[in-house]
Amino acid sequence: MLTNSLSMSNDFAVTVETTDNRGFTPEEVAVRCVNRIIGISENAPPAIKDQAHAYRKQVEAIVANYMHQAIKSDRTTVYNAIKDSGNPKLAEYIRRM
Amino acid sequence: MAFSGNFLCTSFKVELMKGVHNFTAASDQFKVAMYTNSASFTAATTAYTSGNEISGTNYTAKGQFLTSVTPTSSSTTAFTDFADEVFSNVTISAVRGALIYNEAASGDPTVCVLDFGADKAASSGDFTIVFPTADASNAIIRIA
Repeated sequence: MLTNSLSMSNDFAVTVETTDNRGFTPEEVAVRCVNRIIGISENAPPAIKDQAHAYRKQVEAIVANYMHQAIKSDRTTVYNAIKDSGNPKLAEYIRRM
Repeated sequence: MAFSGNFLCTSFKVELMKGVHNFTAASDQFKVAMYTNSASFTAATTAYTSGNEISGTNYTAKGQFLTSVTPTSSSTTAFTDFADEVFSNVTISAVRGALIYNEAASGDPTVCVLDFGADKAASSGDFTIVFPTADASNAIIRIA
């Protein structure tokens, strides 16, 4: 007799990260980002696992750096939008953040 | 009455076979709504409900739209996932879990129940639901 089975599992793991009175920093977001991109098996040989962790740290730093650049660039856009709306003091405050 | 774990809803499995859910639609399909621990959801949960949904600054009833990852496969396992979802600048507390449901389908049918394991809160901050890696071993929805 031929039997075929499909299975769907409830063993997924969803986590929650929160902040109080601030947003996430680029470094915090970079960790999440890289965790999505690079998975490291707990069963990998130690030497390979160490190398993978080191690589992940390097990628985290690069991602965080570019996030900082994106934030700075977006702030320029926001600065100009607020200045053009007639609020130069508020625009300057945001530029200096 | 409390959360008791993660569940892929049984009705969702039936609806997959009926073609109710489309994870490749461009947008505005699946939403995530969040609840206190007074909610009691299981695999038998079939649709979104407003009962025991949380409320707070900048949280809108029925939650937010998710960005779904296009279904794919690895070896013999098919899977799909969602991008991490950020509730920005919220003040919410006693958030124990969530429902993912299909806003575009009639009756807002559920996909799965998420149990955060403990009450979570954010005060004038960001509340992020971090979904697992989209692969055959970890993705939130896998068919093996």
